[in-house]
Amino acid sequence: MTDPENSLVGLGRNAGAAVLILSSLAGGDKHGYALVKDVEEFAGVHLPPGTLYQVLPRLESRGLIIALEADERRRPYRLTAQGATVLAEYITAQQRILKTGQARLKRSWSFA
Amino acid sequence: MELRMNSDLHDTRRAMRLLRWYPSAWRKRYGEEFVDHLEQEFAERHSNLGRSVNVVRKGVVARLGDIGLYDSVANPGAQSRAALGTGVGLAALMVVVMVDFWSKAMLVWSGRRYHPIPVTATTGTLTVVVGLVLVELAAIVIVVVTCVVRQIFRGQARPLVVPSTIAVVTGGFLLSEARFFPRLISPYIRGAHGFQGMSLSRPGQLIANLAQVVWETTQRWVDFWNPGYGPISPIQTVVNDCVPLAMFVCGIAIALLIRRVEIPQRIARLVFPTVALLGALSGVYFVAYLGWNLFGGPSNYDFFFRDKWLGIVYLVLLGLVPLLVIRSGLLARRSQPSSERNQIEIVGS
Repeated sequence: MTDPENSLVGLGRNAGAAVLILSSLAGGDKHGYALVKDVEEFAGVHLPPGTLYQVLPRLESRGLIIALEADERRRPYRLTAQGATVLAEYITAQQRILKTGQARLKRSWSFA
Repeated sequence: MELRMNSDLHDTRRAMRLLRWYPSAWRKRYGEEFVDHLEQEFAERHSNLGRSVNVVRKGVVARLGDIGLYDSVANPGAQSRAALGTGVGLAALMVVVMVDFWSKAMLVWSGRRYHPIPVTATTGTLTVVVGLVLVELAAIVIVVVTCVVRQIFRGQARPLVVPSTIAVVTGGFLLSEARFFPRLISPYIRGAHGFQGMSLSRPGQLIANLAQVVWETTQRWVDFWNPGYGPISPIQTVVNDCVPLAMFVCGIAIALLIRRVEIPQRIARLVFPTVALLGALSGVYFVAYLGWNLFGGPSNYDFFFRDKWLGIVYLVLLGLVPLLVIRSGLLARRSQPSSERNQIEIVGS
């Protein structure tokens, strides 16, 4: 279990955007705009620029991502090992919830 | 081609305008990539009100974080300094209103023959709270001045030049005004111009006389035109009117110094209790002031609030300050790591 100070718990209402950013960076280093496009593609969600740049510094300060050397004005970000662990734990917890929900829907409401 | 260049320039200007909503430290770190990001967004979708609102809203949030009123990503030391700076700045604003209200409450109380217990209790609470706030602020100023002098002797005076100059000018003005304090209070002590005079065996009278002088030097904040009173000369009245403004500006300069000066770690540990005490005292003052009003403190004295709306503005201010001060203190405390591995990154320890 990771330190709660460095997990997604303390991000409050930004936790959703944080998961999207970490998931995107799990596929490779990306700068801000590339990250937004990737999230749009796999999640169908457009991250507004203000929200993106509110969450990036928080993830950086928690050591979940690092900023790489800027290429002109574009600065790519990389997922850290700690960031990968936190994302994996979050996904595992969500999968448990999904499985429970699916099973209960199937049993009580006959949804496949 | 020219059209495209004009469009690019226009987008860059638009992005730069939006960037201004963010604090300078944030702009320094993320400004370039953020502008680049916005330019790419503009190229794809030129107009989007929701996007602009989002940027402005998050910019304001970042500014609130910069002054310690929102969870900031800055290091714990910076958050502590921001909280203390904001606490002192708000307290400086509040203290000029507090001393004015207190002096009037005190004068109303001392001018009465019959003193109901609730009015006496709330007036006493206002007196004690004002005294404690002034003592706490004086202690903070002494500590900050010591830290500033230390930093200047270490040859790191550059970031402190502007706030130090403002603090010295306004502080000097306040000290020069304090020079007249004995002269201002002497008619009340000796007994002149229709005043009874004072005996050391009656400390209540001393406080009432002090309130009279404080009222003279702070009333401009409630009544915009100060016609002068009793033994005070017109020039002295004008100088007196500048005192609250000087107190506020001096407080803001001290708050700026707190943000820029290197605070030793052993003092940084006291930030939360200091801010919490400021917030608690402001809160007690607000409650006592409400009680004083409810229990008939200002009855038969309609001069207290000539302008109803101004009175409401002051009430909102008095209620808001403790909440903001306590919030900044709690955020500073939350930002401090619990374990030894993340020690406060405050230099000069």
